[in-house]
Amino acid sequence: MRPLTEEETKTMFEKLSKYIGENIKLLVDRPDGVYCFRLHHDRVYYMSEKILKLATNFSRDKLMSVGTCFGKFTKTKKFRLHITALDFLAPYAKFKVWVKPGTEQSFLYGNHVLKSGLGRITENTMQYQGVVVYSMADVPLGFGVAAKSTQECRRVDPMSIVVFHQADVGEFIRNEETLT
Amino acid sequence: MRRLYVGGLSHTVTEKDLKDRFGKFGAVEDVELRTRKDPEGVPFKTFGYVNINISDADLKKCLTVLNKSKWKGGTLQIEIAKESFLHRLAQERQESVEQHLQQPAAEDKRQKLLDSLSKAGVDNFTMKSAVPGTEIPGHKDWVVSKFGRVLPILQLRSQKGSKSRNLKYDPSKYSHNIRKLDRNTIPDEATPVTQLTWEVQGGDDEISKKRRGEFPPCEPWRPKKSRTDNVSGRTRFEHPVNSVNRTEGHQLTNGFEKQNNHRLAQKKWTRFTDNDADSEEEIRRLVAAQQTSHVTPQQQEVEEDNLEVVGYDFLAKSACIGDQDKDDYDSADTDELFASRKPPPAKCQEKHTPPTAEHLSGNNTDKKRKTKKKRKAGEQEEEDGSTDDEEHLTSRKPSCVQQKRDSSEQKLNKKTRDLPVVRPSSSESDRDEEDEGDEVDSVDSCSDSDYEAMFSNITHLEISLADLQRLAEAAQQNSKTVAPSFLGAGLEQETLFPSFPAEQPAPKKGSTPEEILAMIMEDDSSEDEQKKKKRKRQAVTSAPLPAFQGTKALNEVSEDEEEDDGRGREVKKQKMNADSTQLVHKETDSKTITSVRDQNHAETKISDSSEQEEDDDEEEDDESDDGDDDEEDESDDGDDEDEEDESDDGDDEDESDEEEEEKGKIIKDMVPPDVLKKVTTKVCVNTEKAETESSSSSEEEEEEVKQGRVNSSQIVVNVKSAGKASPSSCSSSGKDKNEPQVISAKGGVKAALNRETSTSEEEEEEELALPRMALGVEEEEERQRQANMRRLAAVQQRQKEAEEHKKLIQGALANLDAPVAGAGKHIVFGSDDEEDDGNDDGDQQRMDSEVLASRKTLFQDGQSEDEATGDEATANKSVKVKAEMRLKSSGPQLFGGSDDEDEEDGSRFDIKPQFEGQAGQKLMALQSRFGTDERFRMDSRFLEEDEEVKEEDAETKKTLVEDDEDLEEEKKKTLSILQSVLGQQHCSSKTAGKAKKFKDVSALHYDPSKEEHAAFETKKEEVKKESKAARKKKREEAQKLPEVSKEIYYDVSGDLKTVFGQSKDETDQQEEKMNWDQKEEEEERKEKEEESAPLLSVPSVEKEDLCGFKFSFFGDDTETGSKETADYKVEAIQAPKVSWHQDPRFHDSSSEEEEDEQEEDEEQSNTTAKTTEVVMPSHTEFFFFYPDDDRLTDGPKSFWRVSELEEQREQWEERRSALRQEYRKKHKDARRKLTSSLKS
Repeated sequence: MRPLTEEETKTMFEKLSKYIGENIKLLVDRPDGVYCFRLHHDRVYYMSEKILKLATNFSRDKLMSVGTCFGKFTKTKKFRLHITALDFLAPYAKFKVWVKPGTEQSFLYGNHVLKSGLGRITENTMQYQGVVVYSMADVPLGFGVAAKSTQECRRVDPMSIVVFHQADVGEFIRNEETLT
Repeated sequence: MRRLYVGGLSHTVTEKDLKDRFGKFGAVEDVELRTRKDPEGVPFKTFGYVNINISDADLKKCLTVLNKSKWKGGTLQIEIAKESFLHRLAQERQESVEQHLQQPAAEDKRQKLLDSLSKAGVDNFTMKSAVPGTEIPGHKDWVVSKFGRVLPILQLRSQKGSKSRNLKYDPSKYSHNIRKLDRNTIPDEATPVTQLTWEVQGGDDEISKKRRGEFPPCEPWRPKKSRTDNVSGRTRFEHPVNSVNRTEGHQLTNGFEKQNNHRLAQKKWTRFTDNDADSEEEIRRLVAAQQTSHVTPQQQEVEEDNLEVVGYDFLAKSACIGDQDKDDYDSADTDELFASRKPPPAKCQEKHTPPTAEHLSGNNTDKKRKTKKKRKAGEQEEEDGSTDDEEHLTSRKPSCVQQKRDSSEQKLNKKTRDLPVVRPSSSESDRDEEDEGDEVDSVDSCSDSDYEAMFSNITHLEISLADLQRLAEAAQQNSKTVAPSFLGAGLEQETLFPSFPAEQPAPKKGSTPEEILAMIMEDDSSEDEQKKKKRKRQAVTSAPLPAFQGTKALNEVSEDEEEDDGRGREVKKQKMNADSTQLVHKETDSKTITSVRDQNHAETKISDSSEQEEDDDEEEDDESDDGDDDEEDESDDGDDEDEEDESDDGDDEDESDEEEEEKGKIIKDMVPPDVLKKVTTKVCVNTEKAETESSSSSEEEEEEVKQGRVNSSQIVVNVKSAGKASPSSCSSSGKDKNEPQVISAKGGVKAALNRETSTSEEEEEEELALPRMALGVEEEEERQRQANMRRLAAVQQRQKEAEEHKKLIQGALANLDAPVAGAGKHIVFGSDDEEDDGNDDGDQQRMDSEVLASRKTLFQDGQSEDEATGDEATANKSVKVKAEMRLKSSGPQLFGGSDDEDEEDGSRFDIKPQFEGQAGQKLMALQSRFGTDERFRMDSRFLEEDEEVKEEDAETKKTLVEDDEDLEEEKKKTLSILQSVLGQQHCSSKTAGKAKKFKDVSALHYDPSKEEHAAFETKKEEVKKESKAARKKKREEAQKLPEVSKEIYYDVSGDLKTVFGQSKDETDQQEEKMNWDQKEEEEERKEKEEESAPLLSVPSVEKEDLCGFKFSFFGDDTETGSKETADYKVEAIQAPKVSWHQDPRFHDSSSEEEEDEQEEDEEQSNTTAKTTEVVMPSHTEFFFFYPDDDRLTDGPKSFWRVSELEEQREQWEERRSALRQEYRKKHKDARRKLTSSLKS
């Protein structure tokens, strides 16, 4: 477990900023304590200083996970967001997409969101903007990437993809073994 | 002939017109005009069809000429139309006619073929006995196929793209595709429409039936029916049964449920649950039903039972009980059934009666009691199987009765109504002599038998842990001897209840035969039990009776006293019953204790002798009571009725009974109900009088004290018993009284024997009693001894058990309580043991009394203690005194010790000084590690380590701090990275961040109180000061200030643009523009550029230092601008300051230059203005330089000379000459004008 290098931090922040923009600052600079990102087994964990210190008592190979996993660095050194970060990102999300109840399940099974299932969308969402997908009951369901801008979404036919699936809470079950 | 479509016609065109128009091109055969009209009838489109005989050339000509030509206000549109359908139809018909003409030829052809085929042996296209695939001779294309059918070989043209052009289809090769159609199989006959319907083949299930349209016959509406049933007798009866069953759900079983009835039962169940409260109406109905149908209930009950449904919490065990109960209930409910079941006729009556007694009692008893009894009954019934039939029946009855009681008032009412019916039949028929007392006795006996059955198996009682604990506590408080206490209690209660039978005669009028009584007497065990039961019930029932009746009864008693002799034993029985009743009461009070006692009872019941002994004891008690009554009753108004009753008995025994005295006692009896509240204390007093009694009473008291909750109930019981007792004194019907007298006399003798050493009062009483003893003394003595022996054994056992209990509890309490308390208790018990040892030789009773006395000292009030001591003094018993003294001493010790403990406890919870503070806490933690063990007590010395620990903590803290610092650094780093990331991604975000600082200008007001605002004031002052300091030098500057302000103004405009978010590109373009402009200007004027360049560069430098926007705003106006700048945030205000300071310098430099310039030409001012205008756009850029900033390249340019100095000079000279010429010219013009004006 080590702090992120500058490169890694940058990559991760770039990814995160797609979803929450400059609100990353709120994650890094929290009033309720010192929180930090740590890299462990190619995964980035977001944890409080307290837990960080506790975690130092464990050897690297024995430590499964600490704090909250935000994502992992792929072999190509890209950052891939995990659904576990949803709890921290959802409140700060700038662009949101609400899916209709019928599409909820489809999305939770890892499918993209079609126009027909799109209930609501934040205005001025740009194409390829990271979005947090919500159910109509305002329950965050996962991450996505806007396949179309808000304006385009109005025009496209109902079967076209509006939001690309990135991560969803269904992964807690589907990818239980890889989510740490 | 062509058909033409002509569109775009005007509405006025007629067919004739069209004909004429088209006639030029050919012969018009027909013209057809059509006009389209909208719904209102206004034509909006007109077109026509023209049939014309026209050649192609003419048609072409026609189209070219007429198409799109204007005609009568419309543009013609001519197209070739399809043929009219009429025309086509005619053509087709014609063709068909023609074809008809041609057909015969084809037929001929076919005929030829057929002929040729027939020649070849083919008949009707079939060639029999020909192998498929054989060609027909003479016909190339015909082949024999399956079934001898002759078929043609087809040549099919294949689609384009395939290799072979033609496909040859040889039917013989596909002969398997040919199927023979039998004409017969084809359903030619038309089936009638009615048979066309088809049936759905479905199962027998409901849905398919319904689909078929078959609906099941209408079923009666169930709920309604059940309701009506309720009204009818049967269901009416079911109601109570069900309710009963429900209340005692555990007694019912699932096993009897029938499937078909199940649902109905459920429904009823639900209804019953609702009806648990039992409306009056229902009760009435039920009662009526009960009266009308006596026999039916059983069967119905059985049925009903089958229907029951039980919840999950249902227990299998209880279910077993339920089976029995059910039967019992039935038997108990109906008298006839009951009678039939009973084997011996003599006992029938006995059994008949009990229910009545029960009914009566049921009215009076508390619910608590009922429930408890019920439970016990259940337990008994479990074990009933072993007992003989009689017992079984008896045992069942109570249970049934209890069930009924539980069920609710309805049942009680029912029973009460039943009673009149039952009683006469049973009692009158069987008995010739009808004595009230006898009847009562019989009833009592019956009830007793029931009761006995109830307790017959109590030894098997399962005592819960909690019960055990309670028991143990009781035992502790009683000191070791539980058994004696028990005995005493029994005695006491005996004293309470002996007079029961007397009470009942008043309400009931029936008589039991003496024979039966004798029988009962003979059957020792069963009788005793029965008696006990009787007593119990009587006790229960007698409660309501008023004390007043007692007086009457007393009179009667006095009269009846001398009557029957043979019933001496009844009294005993009664006493026994009293014991049993007492037990019952205790049961009600506390189950555990009662259970123990019941066990004891069972033991005692085993033999008559033991019972007799008890009786004797009781009698003795009675005697003593008598004495007490004579002497002390008057003094103590609060005496228990029990004692009085006893005294009454004693009076009977004495035969010296004076009615007056009795009356007085009765009066006392009357009194007690009032005093009943104080019953406990009174009981103590009484016990003091008669030590044995006192022991019992004290026991009771103890029990009461221990079981605070039970107290109320017990008191109630006491009250009841008292009530009964008072009447009982009266009730003593002659026979009963006489017998008791005898027996009591015997008992008195025995008591005397036993108590020879005991109190003098007792002795006196004994002396009084002695003369009466005469009758059965010897026998009794023998019995008594045996009984005494047994009882001793039992008592010892009891003691042992009690001790065990004590030990158990002590062990349990030792952990909780301080050792002192335990020790004190121990001493107390030790003393008891000693007493017991010492008394081994002596009588039990004495021992008991002593023990009880000791207990008194322990638990009774000061009064009682004093009295006890007084008694002891009178007794002059050294042993007793010793014991009591010990007890007393121990008592105080006990309590004193406890007091000390309390004090200690109080101090214990204070935080000791050494444990105060943080170090103290640690010390405490250290100590607590080793518990309270003295050897490992930790001192403050051990705390030194703690300091070290502290140091370590400090070190760790330091490290922690370092860590924190590291984290902080990391945080900063990450933030910086974040900034970079965000900055790269969104430049706007940065500007937005800055924009946030921008505040509404109009909102800011100058506040002299604020220091920040002082900046505005100071500027002016500074300026003034400067001006004052060097007026001469700065006059010029002051004069030039406006110029400076101009420049600033331009700055402002540039900043505004940035504020409004102009993009880089725009600025760049502007810059380019500017450059371009500059170049132009440069071309125009070299010198001015040189001067203006520094001007431009300077503000940009300034901007680097300041935050740009604010600066620009300040520039707006020197004086008013100060206020406007204040609109910016506080932070922003500092910037203006700088600008203020810098401005003068800037002005200075520029002004100096400008001064130089001014010397040169007037036009310079114009040029400067221009340049500044040009500068404006440049300011729209960022304040800070960025790598490829144009300003960096442009700035230096402004310092350089664009062209060579000589060239410039040349240019300048050229221009100068031109300028001079112009100037001269103008000068001349001016002069001319002047001269002309002068001339004019």
